Amino acid sequence: MRYFVALAIILFSLLLSSCTHEKQTEKPLTISTNSWIGYTPLFYAQEKGYLKENNIKLVVNVSLAEAAELYSVGKADMLTTTQHEYYAFKKEFDLVPVILLDRSNGGDMILSNKSIDELLQAEEITAYLEIDSINAEILKDFLKLYNIPLSKLHMINKDQAQIEDIQLPKDQTVLIVTYVPYNIALQKRGFQVLASTKDINSIIVIDSLCCSKNLYETRFTDLKKLKKIIDRSVDELMQDKKASYLLVKKYLGDLNYKEYIESLETIAWINKPSKELLERIKPLGYESRYILP
Amino acid sequence: MKNISIKFFIVLILLTFMGIFGFIFNEFFQEAKHSTQKLLEENIQATVLNIKHFLDKNLKKDNINQITAYLDNNIHGNELIKDLHIVDKKHKQVIYATDRDTIVQHINTQCVPISKIINSDIYEQQCYTFSIKLFDKFNPFYYQSYVYLNKEYLDSLLQNQIDKYRILFVSYGLFFILFIWILLKKFLVNPLEQLRQFAYYQTNTPKEFFIQELESIRYSLSLTFKRLQKEQEELFKLSTKDSLSGLYNRLSLMEKIEWLIAKGERSDDKFALLFLDLDDFKNINDTQGHEFGDKILRHVSQILLDCVRENDIVSRLGGDEFVIILPELKDNKTILEVLKRIQTKLSEPILFGTHSYAVTVSIGITIYPKDGRDATTLLKHADIAMYKAKALGKNNFHFFTENLNEEIQNKIHTQQLIEKGLKKGYFKLFYQPKVDIKTDKIVACEALIRLFDPQKGMIPPNEFISIAEESGLIIPLGEWIIQEAVKQLKEWKNTPFDNIKLSINVSGTQFQNPHFLTSLQKVVSDIDTSKLDIELTESVLINDFDAKFEKINTIKKMGISLSLDDFGTGYSSLSYLKRIPFDTLKIDKSFIDDLEKEQDKSFVNMIIGIADDLNMEVVAEGVESQKQLDYLASIGCEQYQGYYCSKPLPVEEFEKLFLSRKCH
Repeated sequence: MRYFVALAIILFSLLLSSCTHEKQTEKPLTISTNSWIGYTPLFYAQEKGYLKENNIKLVVNVSLAEAAELYSVGKADMLTTTQHEYYAFKKEFDLVPVILLDRSNGGDMILSNKSIDELLQAEEITAYLEIDSINAEILKDFLKLYNIPLSKLHMINKDQAQIEDIQLPKDQTVLIVTYVPYNIALQKRGFQVLASTKDINSIIVIDSLCCSKNLYETRFTDLKKLKKIIDRSVDELMQDKKASYLLVKKYLGDLNYKEYIESLETIAWINKPSKELLERIKPLGYESRYILP
Repeated sequence: MKNISIKFFIVLILLTFMGIFGFIFNEFFQEAKHSTQKLLEENIQATVLNIKHFLDKNLKKDNINQITAYLDNNIHGNELIKDLHIVDKKHKQVIYATDRDTIVQHINTQCVPISKIINSDIYEQQCYTFSIKLFDKFNPFYYQSYVYLNKEYLDSLLQNQIDKYRILFVSYGLFFILFIWILLKKFLVNPLEQLRQFAYYQTNTPKEFFIQELESIRYSLSLTFKRLQKEQEELFKLSTKDSLSGLYNRLSLMEKIEWLIAKGERSDDKFALLFLDLDDFKNINDTQGHEFGDKILRHVSQILLDCVRENDIVSRLGGDEFVIILPELKDNKTILEVLKRIQTKLSEPILFGTHSYAVTVSIGITIYPKDGRDATTLLKHADIAMYKAKALGKNNFHFFTENLNEEIQNKIHTQQLIEKGLKKGYFKLFYQPKVDIKTDKIVACEALIRLFDPQKGMIPPNEFISIAEESGLIIPLGEWIIQEAVKQLKEWKNTPFDNIKLSINVSGTQFQNPHFLTSLQKVVSDIDTSKLDIELTESVLINDFDAKFEKINTIKKMGISLSLDDFGTGYSSLSYLKRIPFDTLKIDKSFIDDLEKEQDKSFVNMIIGIADDLNMEVVAEGVESQKQLDYLASIGCEQYQGYYCSKPLPVEEFEKLFLSRKCH
């Protein structure tokens, strides 16, 4: 009888294991992002383990386009966007902004190896940019601001990592549209800031975390947790910048602490947006009803 | 509930196992399929995304030729991708195709947007598509890219996996079933079958089993069967062997005789049956006790076994009777050899402690089929022959013959007639007068027994008295005679016959009977015993004289007179005459017959002289002539008895004769 019971238990266990081995924990909430000072709260939360604790996975890409592409093929549930990516995917993926992160306040910029005067006199300008990103909007505003004809421009579409490493002939007039932290290496190589979102008043760059409406409805609780994590991270990293620097510097091209502090000054946190801001960005297509306060 | 065989039961169990195993296996298969699918999916996704990424970064408006080689290499190097098309949608022109010869074949292929690649079943999809955004300055334009999956390869991967799992499942399943079946058959089914056969046939004890419970059953069965076999053997021995001697018993003997007869009927084989009876064994039992008698029987049994051949059969029928069967008999020489050995061996004295005894046997022999065709007849005839051997003086043997059979049959018939006669009154007393020679008057008579067979008529006493003595019937017959004689005396009382003295004969056997005196005393209690005379022969007095002497004295004390019958033919011991108070001497007829001879005259004279000296009366028997009578009268003989006066007569005729006062 003992043996029969033992056999029955073994069989039952086998049956049970065969039936239950596929059972898994809930799929993690995957966020596709890229290296940008404005996304530091995400990097911070990642390092502190806040994301993992809440079953949130962070995938860091080299550019906005790469991040967007990852989302576009279904590899991510959320995407950090500027309004450019938001517009581009809004219709196709029924995208809505959920958490506002930051507003660029000099974080997006135009660099050049020439002065503005030399640039204006140049017959041909080679422009490096991520053409399918906010870079294009910034470049357009810059050309418009200085009345530079588009015909003078030879545009090369590269992501920021490629742009960072590009070797340029000395006689060539180059114009690079980039953002923090990619600007730091370029500036060290002699590129100067000709313009940035700090002084281009015609454009406002909003970074936010977006997801599909479906995800918003099905995993709203998780989104609320994420919002709390981001708020907490913003608070913590601003309170102890030194500590946060040590945690996030590897996400930002190994910039030094001074550069980190300077970079932080190029953005403004809008994770807890005021009503005025919400009203202001409403015309940009940011529906406030989805934005978590 | 219907019974099923253990094999069928095991097949059911195995099928159940297979079902469960199959279910579990299928679950694992599905999991493996899912994993494979996932891997393939990720591989395809990576490939497609890589292509997309490459095109996004490298495809320009007019540089397709520059990247064609890279694309060709990339697609050809990946088995999962069959073909890649890049289409200028605006101009409806395929600007690139990896397989440039089969552009037309993809026309009807359904393509899924790459955004759905994560949630689509790659085995169901044939093609993924995505657009490539290019820019002319800031103005975007699009090429559409189609990635055609190598469906055959994908299917073959899956099919391979299914085949592998199927083969694995079937082979493992079969191996599992076979393995379990072999194990169960070896350790369960076969042992159970062996146990079943063992329980049924009780032969071929199975070897030790591996499974403890089965081994316990086997061991228990083995022990039980051994015990049963032992008991069976003991029972068989008890039923076939004689417990005392260890020889075959009667039942077993009969079976063996029947078997030999059946064999003899087929093969004409003969066999001899020797019926042995120990001589005077009763005396051994009576004098030495039964325990000693049993020792003798065991000793004789062993001797008989030692004296026969290997195939001969020795049995004990009971008591002191043994039977030996000598099968495959060729001639009587074999019988005689065995007989000689038996007699020689038995003649050697048996020493028990300080006592030494010699045993003899009487043997009757019958031969199948000559002397009988069935066991009962053979045994009966051998018994007859044995009795004949005993009659011939014991320690002897005798072959059965038809004459012997006839003699025995007659004896048996007579014996039966005596038994029947006692019940139905076939016996009658005849009376022969005893005549006073001086007065020529009948003064007494001798009662003589007569047997009347309803079919054959009167049977002479010499034909049945000895048989009555052999069979012991002489006791009741003797009692009947006394009763009849006493009855007659009572009838004659107060009649003219009142003074007649009546003699009766008492045999040795009757006289030795311990109840004789009691019986006699009872019968004669109400008569005048002086009218009764008992005639005894000398042989009655031989052996144990003192005991008999006491009996005679007791008879005398009863008032009954005694006559010594047939005097002169036996020992004629004068010491008897001196010690025993006989009243009458009866001179045997043989002396009277030969009275012409001087020697016999002298004997008769001497007997009469002795009788005178001892104050005894003398009766001459068998007087048949006046001459004999005259001589007897001349020498002073008082009475005579014989045909000269009268033969023995029925009572009515005797009374007539008595009343007529004339003998002749």
